[in-house]
Amino acid sequence: MSSPAGTPQRSWSPSTAVRRAIAGERIELATLLERRVVFVAGKGGTGRSTMTAALALLGARAGKRVLAIDVEAKGDLAAALGSPPAGFAPRVVQHDLSVLELRTDESFQEYLNIYFKVPRVTRLTPLARVFDFIATGVPGPRDMLVVGKIAYEERRKEAGSRSPVWDLILVDCAAGGQVESHLGAAKAMLTLVRGGLIRVQVEWIDALIRDSRRTTVVLCALPEEMPVIEAIELHERLRMGSGVAVDVCLLNRAVVEPVTAAHRHLMTALIDPEHAEVVAQHLGGSPLPLDAGLELQAHLYDTTARYLRQLRNKLPMPVVPVPLIVDRTGLTTTRAVADALSNRLG
Amino acid sequence: MSAEQAGYVPERRRSVRKEAAGLGRRLAPLEVVICCGSGGVGKTTVSAALGMAIAAAEDKRVLVLTVDPARRLATALGIKGIGAEPVRIPKARLRRAGITIAGDLEAAMLDMKQAWDRMIERYSPDRLTAQRILRNPLYQRITDSFVGSHEYAAMEALYELHDAGEYDCIVVDTPPSRNALDFLEAPSRLTDYVGSRLLSLLSGGPSRFGFRAMNFAAAPFLRLADRLLGAEVLAEVSDFVQQLQLLYDGIQGRARSVSRLLRSSRTGFVVVTTLEQGPFDEAEFFCTKLREFKMPLRAVVVNRVLPDVFRDAGGVAAATTLVEDPKVAAWLAGELHLRVSADAARFIGKTFLSRNTLAHREARQLAKLGRLGEVPIVRMPLFSEEVSELEGLVRIAKTL
Repeated sequence: MSSPAGTPQRSWSPSTAVRRAIAGERIELATLLERRVVFVAGKGGTGRSTMTAALALLGARAGKRVLAIDVEAKGDLAAALGSPPAGFAPRVVQHDLSVLELRTDESFQEYLNIYFKVPRVTRLTPLARVFDFIATGVPGPRDMLVVGKIAYEERRKEAGSRSPVWDLILVDCAAGGQVESHLGAAKAMLTLVRGGLIRVQVEWIDALIRDSRRTTVVLCALPEEMPVIEAIELHERLRMGSGVAVDVCLLNRAVVEPVTAAHRHLMTALIDPEHAEVVAQHLGGSPLPLDAGLELQAHLYDTTARYLRQLRNKLPMPVVPVPLIVDRTGLTTTRAVADALSNRLG
Repeated sequence: MSAEQAGYVPERRRSVRKEAAGLGRRLAPLEVVICCGSGGVGKTTVSAALGMAIAAAEDKRVLVLTVDPARRLATALGIKGIGAEPVRIPKARLRRAGITIAGDLEAAMLDMKQAWDRMIERYSPDRLTAQRILRNPLYQRITDSFVGSHEYAAMEALYELHDAGEYDCIVVDTPPSRNALDFLEAPSRLTDYVGSRLLSLLSGGPSRFGFRAMNFAAAPFLRLADRLLGAEVLAEVSDFVQQLQLLYDGIQGRARSVSRLLRSSRTGFVVVTTLEQGPFDEAEFFCTKLREFKMPLRAVVVNRVLPDVFRDAGGVAAATTLVEDPKVAAWLAGELHLRVSADAARFIGKTFLSRNTLAHREARQLAKLGRLGEVPIVRMPLFSEEVSELEGLVRIAKTL
């Protein structure tokens, strides 16, 4: 196994610089949960759904009424919350926590219904397909469906009251740069639509997105080259584009426990041929394979530290490592991640 | 740690593994090798390594066609950068890195924008039509975000290169798409779109009142769209669609040729995946679809596999004792004449056991690949693909 450039093959103990890279600065969890709308974005496979679900659990734990929205509607977010696939209507997962999934057809219908008082029709599919094509070419409409729905939920009030239905809305964005088009949609629409009905809504949606007290983005990355580069580039484009605030970057699957000199000494002694037989007998098996485990741990720790440094050099907001959780999928993992997040974010 | 050191191969898979060992040789007779899989599974690296393995196996002129400006790949190939013009990888440099290639190895990056522009120019009935499309503000947007557009451009470029006959074998690193199937369906999807009746409804053309010559079915939509977007936008869309339809015959003809090439015996698909749930499910689905479309799947490359040492039974027993036996630290201290903290012993055990859990999960995933039938499966050990130098890439090429 090759070691990455600049890191020695067998460092006896991580340097102070590496330890500092892992520790880093903190962000108050409470601050994050005070927002109204949090977009969770990142490359596919960076654990976006798990992070969204974990933040949702933490929000509900803090006494907020939380809505978690899955933009991709692949069922990942619902699964991470231990729920069967949700629908377009919010589905209650636990006390104070609901989940919903956006789908183009239904979103389109509801959008027309809410904003243009167009009655719901049964056979809208051909129309939706034409819309789909146009929406591909014209910046805005399709993303407006997504953002429009989110903004609608943000504005919703309890029946007969002025208090909002949701305190916190978490959005599990589609993979890759789609969050940009969602967030940029309002701005793009403003340049296209100069008057009329839609202008008014688009204006307040744009205001919501640009308001850093109400709306923020959480970036997700992994300690691997491409996810890190993409997170940095995405942040840059968001900064230049929609002007939305980014509160924190979460480095998922981080290996944060260093291999120390004491661990190495013990390992060397364990596999010393002089004692090998008696040690193996006492432990019930040869400890030789354990050396590979220690090697891998050290390598992953170094990798984590390297990418944390890179992210912290390039991103102005706190970058928080979320430890790798070797667990089953679903709610068990989400709970463990939520605990880790709450520890790390303080 | 290498795959050989860790090399425990289950009995029933051993024959398959042996077969896969000569993947470069097996793929060498092909004219087109297409690497596909989810984003982030190491497709680009595997493509480059495959190209290298093929050029090493036989005296062929091999081109690796990559889709992203992977600076690291350029470094790994020992060249300054990869552009639209193919760059040759110096043989001497390869030899120094430990591999002798019989043939020639070149790399080029696919320029999507250029591929689209050239396609429009080629299929337009005249220069004016081409210019009108290229200048339409919607055009750039469509080529950027149209489902399958990158895939289509990649295939178009591949077809041209293949047709030119300059290379014996072209290895394609496919664009990272949300759905790997986009790549297979791109030709037919594009023709569907361009030829769709729904779009002809839209190409009625703008008038002072928005749209004339409206079909009954389109009328409510156009009224609505007018309200949603304003007439200007719709006029642009309409113009674009009208122009695009002039290209229909050309695009349809080419899409058919591309489909034929993909299905021919000169082409082979290599599916790249990791054992993570998402990419793995997609890879499996993709393999099934390839079969359905009668496109030849030649191998599955499983990347970032934990070495088998993490499933060693003796290791598990030793690790469990280190974690659970409260007296183990004291015993070790006495036996090894060493200061041993209980924490250190537990840490060593725990580190191994957590990887053991993952390794078992991976083994269960790997076993599922049996469902794919007689397909060579190549396993690449974890981190071997974190290559920053040519030597790393060579090592992977040799694994293949």
